[in-house]
Amino acid sequence: MTARLLRLELRRNAMVWMLPLLGLLFWLVAFRRGVAYPPLWNIRATSMQTAAVSVFAPSVVGVAAWIGSREGRHGMTGLLTSTARPRWARQVVAWAATTCWALLAYLVCVGVLYGVTAAQGAWGGPLWWPAIVGAASLPAFAAAGFAAGALRPSRLTAPVAAVGVFLALQLTVQLIHGDRSHWQISPLVANPWNLGADQGVATFYRYLPDLPIAQLLFLAGCTAALLGVVGLPAGSGGPWLRRSAAAVTAAGLLAAGSAAALAGTARIDPHGMVAIPVLHRAADDRPVPYTPICAGTPVPVCLHPAYAVYLPAAVEALAPVLGAVAGLPGAPVRVTQAATTYRSGPGGIGVARAGEAWSRTPTEYRLLLPSQLPGRTLTLEQVAAAVRADAGRDIVASVIGAARDATPAQDAVVAALLGTPASVTDPDAAAAAQRLAALPPDARRAWLADHLDALRAGTLTVEQLP
Amino acid sequence: MTPPGQSRARRGSARWWRGAGGGAARLVWLHVVGRRVPAALAVILACAAGLRVALLWQWKDYGALQLPLLFETGCAAAIAVAAAGPFGEPERATGGRLPWLRLGTALALTAVAAGALLAAGGTLRGVRDLAGLVGVGLLCAVLLGGAPAWAGPLGYAMAGVYALYTQWHAPALTTPWIWPGRPAGDVGGAVCAALVFAAGTALFTWRGARDVST
Repeated sequence: MTARLLRLELRRNAMVWMLPLLGLLFWLVAFRRGVAYPPLWNIRATSMQTAAVSVFAPSVVGVAAWIGSREGRHGMTGLLTSTARPRWARQVVAWAATTCWALLAYLVCVGVLYGVTAAQGAWGGPLWWPAIVGAASLPAFAAAGFAAGALRPSRLTAPVAAVGVFLALQLTVQLIHGDRSHWQISPLVANPWNLGADQGVATFYRYLPDLPIAQLLFLAGCTAALLGVVGLPAGSGGPWLRRSAAAVTAAGLLAAGSAAALAGTARIDPHGMVAIPVLHRAADDRPVPYTPICAGTPVPVCLHPAYAVYLPAAVEALAPVLGAVAGLPGAPVRVTQAATTYRSGPGGIGVARAGEAWSRTPTEYRLLLPSQLPGRTLTLEQVAAAVRADAGRDIVASVIGAARDATPAQDAVVAALLGTPASVTDPDAAAAAQRLAALPPDARRAWLADHLDALRAGTLTVEQLP
Repeated sequence: MTPPGQSRARRGSARWWRGAGGGAARLVWLHVVGRRVPAALAVILACAAGLRVALLWQWKDYGALQLPLLFETGCAAAIAVAAAGPFGEPERATGGRLPWLRLGTALALTAVAAGALLAAGGTLRGVRDLAGLVGVGLLCAVLLGGAPAWAGPLGYAMAGVYALYTQWHAPALTTPWIWPGRPAGDVGGAVCAALVFAAGTALFTWRGARDVST
């Protein structure tokens, strides 16, 4: 009989009419934004969780409130009391039908986004935790809307509940300050909120399940508590049923409260993820093994395979510099990619290269891609320009000994090798840089090899440049 | 002195006018009550109060733009829901005054919402967004029915909130048809919002909310 009731509710559920709107909004807010990022599971999955919950939560709450208020709006509560099933059981079935439709829509939307990401060759496997938290939020939001509709049946309940939840979600994330905020329990949060969408998280190290586990506990507790509240009023069922509802409500509140308390003990771990000591497993701190992908340049440039999309840009940026200095003292024998490290402080979350830029045995330059740092998404051209300006300068400076107090000649050589002679402020040095940059690559390299000792010693003058 | 016959005529005329005026007022009152306008007004005033309270805090980056939009959405959703009548088809056969009652109710509620939000610290940009959202809600009331018409402003607000977000995070949504993402004083956004409001109000006045059984 319950199955038949569920079939009826599924067939007549108002959520069906919301599916096109949900699909459209998911495309606009989550899919369009997700595919604008490079094909990296970490950033696509975490941004998807935030966007999908933002889209689904108000709609599901509104529809659930509409369905929950159905009996009251039509004045059927008294009449339906005489049916075989207690009121609470009927309401739970209606809630389940609403949740089923919402989950189906969510799974289809997430499936499309994950499918497209996989088809674009994203490295490693999909991140499932963000998808699971998003899915687990739907029963909770449906229960919230259903409880509002059942307890305050009115045609205005649905819009007020939907807008109220929308507002509450926005407010919770506005209240997150630092890494020990209880508000991180919000299902909108997939990684440190103040960090934003960050490509450096969950690539070299596993995505920590600590916060998702706490969120699942919170959402399960909320779902139980809200469904329990629906069964509390007189007329929901017999005394035994109402006592059960009270027990479910209490258990749900306990679980949700515990989860929020756990979120308050969180900290940012050095890999940029939210770690909760009670839920943390040391095994999750191990780096993810990978085989770097390398370009066949004179000095190999190797990146983590997740960042393969940036390899042509990095090679294009560094090839002129590496071609000029390859084999010279101080030049790297290989360029590899460094991970990022994170530290939470009073001014926010600091992100830097993990370890030193140079490893000496053998001499390797450890490159940090600008896209590994928080901030706006960069195009490949912007990434190439930033790599040339930062890593290229570091490499040339290492070869010619141009540290902080570089001589004008050293400045001119750096600018010539980076292809930016106009950036030198001293006119004589700028002219010398232009002369050196105009030489054929072989002649430039030969001149550099001949004068390297004088350059490193700082005794070479601008006039002595070719 | 007034001739007795004339006095009787005047008294009769006054009674007629009192009766007609009282009848009109009663008609308006019944129309308003039948559409839960008092409850919608309460929601509108609650939204204005919420905006007033929210403006007491300092919000960071796009929160400062998104929060007012949510209160405007609450007002627009309440106005859209108040479009539904309880009688359906029989009400349409009662005479030619119904479209005017619909128009008057929609305009009055919109004016009250705009005034309340402005009084609470809102801006003209907010009034633009509110007018467009009301238009979306009334269009939904005509197409889907009054009771579920809240879904229109709500769905549109999600797109608007996202458009505001994209001002900080590319790719930006810059179409004037998503006017909450446009700056204050933007002509394109204002025209689009006004067009949607005009279309929604005109269609709603002409057709009324669709009758649906939910």
